[in-house]
Amino acid sequence: MGRTNACLVLALALAGLLAGAAGCPVGAQPMAPKADEGQKVFKEACAGCHKWHGGGGGGYGGAALSLRQTQLDRAHLVEVVGCGRPGTGMPSHKRDAYADGACYGLKKADLGQDAPPEANRFLRPKEIEAVVDYVIAHVQGKGDPTLADCEAFWGAGARTCGEYRPGGAAPEAAKVGE
Amino acid sequence: MTSWSRSTCCSVLALALTCGLAAASARAADAPVTQDRLLNPDKEEGNWLLHHRNYAAHRFARLDQINRENVKNLKVAWTMALGGVEGGGIWTHGGLEGTPLAEDGFLYVTDGWGSVYKIDAHGGRGKLVWKMDPKTDKDWAGAVACCGVDNRGVALWNDKVISHTLDGRLIATDKKTGDVAWQAQLADPDKGEVITGAPLVVKDMAITGVAGAEYGIRGWIAATDLKTGKEIWRTYTIPAKGEPGSETWQDEHNAAATGGGSTWVTGSYDPATNTLYWGVGNPGPDWDHEYRPGDNLFTDSTLALDADTGRIKWHFQHTPNDPFDYDSVSEKVLVDLPDGKKLAIEADRNGFAYALDRSNGQFVWGMPFVKRVSWTKGLDPKTGKPMEYDPNKPIQPYLGKPDRTNTVATICPGNMGGKNWPPTAYNPDLKLWYIPVIESCNQITVKPAVPGESFKPREFFTGGGPKQPERITGSITAVDVATGKIAGKLETPYPLLGGMLATPDLVFTGHPSGEITAHDAKTLEKLWEFNTGSGLNAPPMTFVVDGKQYVAILAGVGGAWDKWFIDSTPELKSMQPGSMLFVFAL
Repeated sequence: MGRTNACLVLALALAGLLAGAAGCPVGAQPMAPKADEGQKVFKEACAGCHKWHGGGGGGYGGAALSLRQTQLDRAHLVEVVGCGRPGTGMPSHKRDAYADGACYGLKKADLGQDAPPEANRFLRPKEIEAVVDYVIAHVQGKGDPTLADCEAFWGAGARTCGEYRPGGAAPEAAKVGE
Repeated sequence: MTSWSRSTCCSVLALALTCGLAAASARAADAPVTQDRLLNPDKEEGNWLLHHRNYAAHRFARLDQINRENVKNLKVAWTMALGGVEGGGIWTHGGLEGTPLAEDGFLYVTDGWGSVYKIDAHGGRGKLVWKMDPKTDKDWAGAVACCGVDNRGVALWNDKVISHTLDGRLIATDKKTGDVAWQAQLADPDKGEVITGAPLVVKDMAITGVAGAEYGIRGWIAATDLKTGKEIWRTYTIPAKGEPGSETWQDEHNAAATGGGSTWVTGSYDPATNTLYWGVGNPGPDWDHEYRPGDNLFTDSTLALDADTGRIKWHFQHTPNDPFDYDSVSEKVLVDLPDGKKLAIEADRNGFAYALDRSNGQFVWGMPFVKRVSWTKGLDPKTGKPMEYDPNKPIQPYLGKPDRTNTVATICPGNMGGKNWPPTAYNPDLKLWYIPVIESCNQITVKPAVPGESFKPREFFTGGGPKQPERITGSITAVDVATGKIAGKLETPYPLLGGMLATPDLVFTGHPSGEITAHDAKTLEKLWEFNTGSGLNAPPMTFVVDGKQYVAILAGVGGAWDKWFIDSTPELKSMQPGSMLFVFAL
């Protein structure tokens, strides 16, 4: 809320120091994906179109297929995440997917209008595997999403999971404001 | 800078030899923002007190220190890095879409998460006075925002700064200290309602619109008493059962309950008749119009409302039974012509510009302002309705529309328009109206919505989705309002996603590729350009401080474009998130 300039400058400086202190060791550590890496990638790269539960449907990101109902095996899922699906809105997430024929033996020029869009942010091979493993473990073949699924994704008590609570209510404690 | 005496003020101004340009010197520097001041922005030309600069939404400033002769010398005066670039929910970052307000040398700007910054612009540099962080619920609000982490600016009232947050609040902040005086929860993110537009202050009320038609909300416009923080009226844009307009929802599964009709762009106000003019967005689900047979009032409509009660005086629906996502949320620009006509003009997502008689909503003229229109042969010259419209048909037979039979269709304009939220500007001397145009087509795939199954609270409820198989460009299109004809079109390589500013002989706009440009007001010839190095997604504005004219713009691309529509402008993938205020001067 209201602050004096001196306070703000100090706060900014402290924030900068903290960010720097927190940032250094992370950069020096090995890049092994954490256990929740797949869910993190799913949230950033997939949930916008496939929705948090992977059920797909409509949205500004396109009319996405259901990952809960997909029949693809792990290798195919890795391929589709990396290469996208030509002729649809499913983007490629592998860097330079259509530069050297690594995807379906095709190059961008071969596909013309059918070239799948390129994802805004490319995923490293480990990230692609992590998100595919997440889909296989938590999404594929599952029935209708449950409260447990929703809270596993958004956090315990998340208001967005009210749909899955009895009566559809948001937990009182989580209401915004006073 | 709270203790500026009138004599100090005047001596500085005298030194600058530009006294006439400055804010009225008869008023103390910390005078409250009264209704009288908001009604008379021309008395303080150096200030920018309302979102669209005046109640008529002209975005025209009669400032000419910067003009067509010298604009080539415009340079960066100062910049300021802002915050709010962090992501939340499904969004990787916030963006800047706001219009700064300027009052007596102080700027009031917002970032995408609704933090308000008061900046002292005296002395040729910017200095942060305070920042009010509303502590917006990021994961939550971000997850139910259809189209990005956005906030389009504040309003000024009395000694308070009035702002919105994405998670649905209206906040009054003490202008001097930056302390929150009070806040009220207006929108309910539990229902997928979020707020992105700037409030409009009218007669001690804040008028608020809501977003969320992609999430099956039932849209509304609300008025809050700024003296008490209590709601005065709330008008739903989808009528309840039995109310006028409810007969235009002819289904048997209560489609109206999730009928959309959001109101997320700040409207205009005519004090002579105490009338608010406000636009209403698309029906839900966006693309499956067989789910909701009927005209679906008051979606895709221009509304005239009594400011005291919220009563709808008249409506004009632009795209009945819309299968395209053609919101009519655009600001209604109020224009008085020499022949006595009083118009409300609007550039619609559907690609047509409309002039309505603002006393009764009668159609005056309409014409396409985009290069390509695929969905209709044109407007009926009498009624202004699309030629294909048949009031007796529950499902409108627009040309080449996406529907349950023709599930994949290319539409022009694409679903972003036309013209989206970025505001137009109107030069009343030249009678020219400048539209920031998205020259587009895109492809829609319909996924039929199933009653009782498809709608889930807080999830996209769109009946399909768009895809961008072809390049999208833009233009500045100038319209002669007296004749309703296009007076000029300057094509741009990218869609215009920021909006317009008009001065007596110039027009300014920002480009998503980073450039802010100035153009000749008559010919649209480009006279000046500066590349901010950051995608521009916000409108330019102008103000005076210390007797000197400045142009300001927020830089930092956000919104829906760089997530959902980027494939139509692949080079823009190189634009990185940013959060910066640029201020220019000679």
